[in-house]
Amino acid sequence: MGTATGIIKALNSGIKHLAVKRFTLRYPEQKLKFVGDGYQFDPASGVAIAGLKGRHMLFHDHCTGCQLCSIACEGVAEAIAMVKVPDKWGQNAKSIMPQIDYGKCVFCGLCVDACPFYALYMSNDYELSSFTKEGLIYTPAQLQVKPQVQQDSELIIDKRGARHG
Amino acid sequence: MAEQVIPTKKMPPGLQVENIDDRIMTLNVGPQHPGSGHMRIIVKIDGDYIVDADPDPGYVHRGEEKMAESRNYITNIPHLERPVIHDSCNILYPYVLGVEDLVGIEVPERAKYVRVIAAELNRCIYIQYWLAIYGIFLGHSTMFMWPAGDRELLIDLMEKITGARVTHAYFIPGGVRNDVPANFEDVCLRQVNYFEKRIKEYADIFYDNPILKARTEDTGVLSREDAIRLGTTGSVLRASGVDYDLRIKEPYDVYDELDVHTNVLKSGDSYARSKIPWLDMLESCNIIRQALEKMPKSGSIRTKLKPNPKGREDEVYRRVESGRGSAGCHIISRGKPEPYRLKLSVSSFRNLIALPYLLKGEKLGNMPAVYWSLNYWPVEADR
Repeated sequence: MGTATGIIKALNSGIKHLAVKRFTLRYPEQKLKFVGDGYQFDPASGVAIAGLKGRHMLFHDHCTGCQLCSIACEGVAEAIAMVKVPDKWGQNAKSIMPQIDYGKCVFCGLCVDACPFYALYMSNDYELSSFTKEGLIYTPAQLQVKPQVQQDSELIIDKRGARHG
Repeated sequence: MAEQVIPTKKMPPGLQVENIDDRIMTLNVGPQHPGSGHMRIIVKIDGDYIVDADPDPGYVHRGEEKMAESRNYITNIPHLERPVIHDSCNILYPYVLGVEDLVGIEVPERAKYVRVIAAELNRCIYIQYWLAIYGIFLGHSTMFMWPAGDRELLIDLMEKITGARVTHAYFIPGGVRNDVPANFEDVCLRQVNYFEKRIKEYADIFYDNPILKARTEDTGVLSREDAIRLGTTGSVLRASGVDYDLRIKEPYDVYDELDVHTNVLKSGDSYARSKIPWLDMLESCNIIRQALEKMPKSGSIRTKLKPNPKGREDEVYRRVESGRGSAGCHIISRGKPEPYRLKLSVSSFRNLIALPYLLKGEKLGNMPAVYWSLNYWPVEADR
């Protein structure tokens, strides 16, 4: 193949892209849809359920304060600290629950794998930025809140290329 | 003119007064330059020609091997994938295989196929990132945008399987952590097919482009004998005409049941070294399709492991073919929950040794083309 033909072919393959749909996601307006409600773990079968590893969700009525999540995080990120909670729960004699510092968390999900009481899940919420370091520390009360997120954009592949819609 | 002062005491190498040659200039490329990637190449140039090159890695040393000695076999997983976050499944693969040997657990058949699919997807993600940087190194902005965009297709797939976009922490001794989501086979097949169609378009704009060929052909030629003698692996070795791929030579998991072909080019120049990873991506698409077809439709994906497993008193070395070449992991166990010593043998460091030989006699402008064609990842080399 001659030099001129090669350059024309290269230009041509770029020009074809003028007709292809835009692939980029328009982020704040469009948000990707994920599978399921987030990463969860089933201790009975010992296998996790696929989902995004985002911000944790803590179920106060299941947490027994056993500290297994905190132990699992030792040596990984040391992001989990056990703190006192004001409410009294029957299953939680010591009234301690995990508090997670998202400045340290690496979102590996080993704490979720360690929880034998279905108390800790990971949700689809990934927008955790904060102006202060203290704002990244989520108390048990904050972790209890179910995130309200609108995630509906999916990857569509058709004859005019791939796009998010 | 002042007389040259020669210190009587022997100084450390960096502080020695060099014999000054009027013709030779020493140039530090890096470590701040984003292109050199956290490493420095000390080049000596005569006019425009390189007379000597000395790679100086070690700026991003993280002490992964020492850290592994104080953490148990499970806790080691998130930090061991940090050296190459874009290829995190493949860098974790030898460690997981080694721990399975030490602890003595079997992996379910379905988990092996899921692992192969995840590893091949991750190989493509890594190569796309590498290719994007190779494109911008050569001033080809389109080749930066296209791979960086098409990489999203596979990152999307990995995020569906593992729940994370880059650092997956997905492989675990005894299988994988979670099953693939429902309807995954169709989604994966559709996106991999489209991805393959997209990367085939790179041929016109990049690999058959006469400007790229003029730039990279016959630069940094590594002969077959030198490639073997210097101990290079992976794409560098295969670009020099040696047919060596661990997926075929030492098949792990289910690679012996799949039809894997290797791509070998004979010329050993920068062009061949940059083309081999692209051909590997096309082959990876074939492997993913085969694995999706042969994968058992249901079944266990994880053998239950004790909470704090202890390895038997032994040592084990396992290696896999990563996106860059062979990645090995040597674990010495003394019957404790944590390894006594863990050594990562990574291809980036092994391929870097070829750089001074390749750069000698090249023009300075060709240095990025030769350097990045070695499929080098600085953080992996420093560990």
